[in-house]
Amino acid sequence: MQTKILLDEEQMPKKWYNVQADLKSPLDPPLHPKTQKPIGPEDLAAIFPMELIRQEMTTDPHIDIPEEVQDVLRLWRPSPLYRAHRLEKFLKTPARIYYKWEGVSPAGSHKPNTSIPQAYYNMKAGVERIATETGAGQWGSALAFATMLFGLQCTIYMVRSSYTQKPYRKSMMHVWGAECIPSPSTKTNAGRAMLEKDPDTPGSLGMAISEAVEDAASHSNTNYALGSVLNHVCLHQTIIGLECREQLAMVDDYPDVVIGCVGGGSNFAGISFPFAGDKLTGKHKDVDIVGAEPASCPTLTKGLYTYDLADEAGYTPLLKMFTLGHDFVPPSMHAGGLRYHGDSPIVSRLVHDGVMRAVAYHQSEVFDAAQTFARSEGIIVAPETAHAVKAAIDEALKCKKTGEEKSILFNCSGHGNFDMTAYDAYYAGSLVDYEYPDELIKEAIARIPKIS
Amino acid sequence: MKRIGFLVNPIAGMGGAVGLKGTDGKAEEARRRGALPRAKDRARIALALLAHDENLEILTCSGGMGEDVLKEAGIQNYQVLYRFDGDSSAHDTSLAAQMFLKAEVDLILFCGGDGTARDIFDVVGRDVPVLGIPAGVKMYSAVFAIDPATAAELVMKYDTQSLRDSEVMDVDEDAYRSGELKTRLYGMARTPALPGKIQLSKHVFEEADEDRAKKEIARFMHEIMIPDVLYILGAGTTTESIARKLGVHKTLLGIDAVKNGKIVSTDLDEKTLWTLLRDGQEAKIFLSPIGAQGFILGRGNQQISPRIVKRVGIRNIIVVATPHKLRETPLLYVDSGDSVLDKDFGDSVQVISGYRMAQRRKIFQSL
Repeated sequence: MQTKILLDEEQMPKKWYNVQADLKSPLDPPLHPKTQKPIGPEDLAAIFPMELIRQEMTTDPHIDIPEEVQDVLRLWRPSPLYRAHRLEKFLKTPARIYYKWEGVSPAGSHKPNTSIPQAYYNMKAGVERIATETGAGQWGSALAFATMLFGLQCTIYMVRSSYTQKPYRKSMMHVWGAECIPSPSTKTNAGRAMLEKDPDTPGSLGMAISEAVEDAASHSNTNYALGSVLNHVCLHQTIIGLECREQLAMVDDYPDVVIGCVGGGSNFAGISFPFAGDKLTGKHKDVDIVGAEPASCPTLTKGLYTYDLADEAGYTPLLKMFTLGHDFVPPSMHAGGLRYHGDSPIVSRLVHDGVMRAVAYHQSEVFDAAQTFARSEGIIVAPETAHAVKAAIDEALKCKKTGEEKSILFNCSGHGNFDMTAYDAYYAGSLVDYEYPDELIKEAIARIPKIS
Repeated sequence: MKRIGFLVNPIAGMGGAVGLKGTDGKAEEARRRGALPRAKDRARIALALLAHDENLEILTCSGGMGEDVLKEAGIQNYQVLYRFDGDSSAHDTSLAAQMFLKAEVDLILFCGGDGTARDIFDVVGRDVPVLGIPAGVKMYSAVFAIDPATAAELVMKYDTQSLRDSEVMDVDEDAYRSGELKTRLYGMARTPALPGKIQLSKHVFEEADEDRAKKEIARFMHEIMIPDVLYILGAGTTTESIARKLGVHKTLLGIDAVKNGKIVSTDLDEKTLWTLLRDGQEAKIFLSPIGAQGFILGRGNQQISPRIVKRVGIRNIIVVATPHKLRETPLLYVDSGDSVLDKDFGDSVQVISGYRMAQRRKIFQSL
């Protein structure tokens, strides 16, 4: 009875997979926030290195992973794929459950899969410093780690509420040599304007993005980096799904269901795009691909598929995506990494086209699932990851009812070792089941005059 | 150092066990029927938990109105501010509350029922926050913590910054004894709430103050209000803030109706409400549950009768409450007077708690 399915280091994928190549029609282009005309590479050149801009727009099916990047990724990759025998037994399900464990990276999540190549390409382009934002601190710590390895300076705007309440993530960034500033800050025009409007604001990811973009755009030696949403970020994460496909082949399996949690969409993209490609090209038409999101920020299940800004202040291009509106401030909840008003344009497109689907869960049921997982498989997952665990358990329980022996794969994207206060709140019974009042909001939106 | 005024209504709760449904003016009768004082036991549970809190300066009343139970709980550091003789009465509660008010206490902690809450509220109003340890026969007022242990926790964590509005209910005791529950909202006191920033986690700042939360709720509700629909606003400060956002004046304790941005009628009774709903008038009802006790319908808003609810439709009832109030309110209840209708509310409800934000809360449904 094999529990861990492992690849050798030399079996680590050498190329990323670009699902854009297999879309039936091209993605709707990002639009300039002022002119509302499609943007070109030059519009992005002020904040991104050219290679990442190319990756953002290309429809080449495969992109080589540079040797230097592979060298770093081998610190923890290929990551293990687990067969969740104990969870299956606990649930008494005929389903086979597999999980890809991304918590083995130094930062404890899937985020370094993209922070490493992003730092590398910036270093190659002669950039000296990178500015970014972080919500819960996962991305900030991953980028701090990556920039340190490639000799870059790093400034991280961390959502203020997390900055005060998640001291250990901040400490990790310091260990890896990055500067971490609570956002909104007085360092940028955007931050000052937000503070003037509301000095007590807890901050939001949208605000922090505005600050980081402004910092990058106003310093010639500085670029910007984003930890999710963008096409090149999703591309870098596909190494997860590519490894899974190899690992499952080693045990003669292929998933019937592929699951990831969704905030900006990168870890979901990472595990699912290779399988979405199989679906799009007809190799495996029936694979069911499921994104699990919070009921309090249900972008894919309740949002509108339309052009919207990616940040609060309006510095970023307009992206065609599922969105709850760029001014929507999601409620406070423990899965901070899933608190984003929009979603990856590619994930959005695939959901819109019916290639993928999404489900939304309340906080307490998600923690029920996390507890089940910790007590069967041992791993205490991050609250974000717990959404994927919940979806996997639900699918396995469906199989129990129907007797189907499905193969279920989910991305176990990160550990929850710095999230124990969330578990404490769960045991204290003080978790709040926030939800998005979508019907009332639709009534409200219907009243907003349409701009011709 | 927190200065706490502490008093017990020693006869509170006695009537319940002997079928008197309330002890106001019935202490003698209750005793004759064999009732034992219950308030002291309830108060002692809370006080025992406070015995080691060195941050409290306790002012109290003599004997059974406070001092006895403090001693039993092992608390020595207190000062008797009010002395009484014989059986204590509502008048003694009132006099003690006056002394507490003069002594500028930070909080009045009392053990009693709705009657005690009303007597204290009559004296201190919103000037001094009040918190009840539940001991009476009926506790419909939001000033009561859900149990004595929670009351102790609220006292320990009380920082004078985290307060919520709390409904003081008036129950018609004569009607109650004859089997009819007639409640009306008597006033809005202020009660400690657990400090806002309790979830020490990734992202979490609850709304720092309750006023801001009310404004956010009002901003959202204002967005969804459309012409020609009749909006029925229940009692309380949250629904009042919706009226304020509309620029109209609402009665705090009554049920008012608004249409096209104007007040149609205030302090409505059931009949008038029914009349307003004639001719297929489309309507929505905004209600806020009673804090801690959790009643959405059936306490203090009996004007919204089963036929009104059916006419408007359950889906057009919008429940609103601040996160502060919800934190103190573990379960919601619906007691419209029609148990079949109550069931139709289901086992959970969406409660609007901020701007474009809601919480899913459980409704207690008996089997």
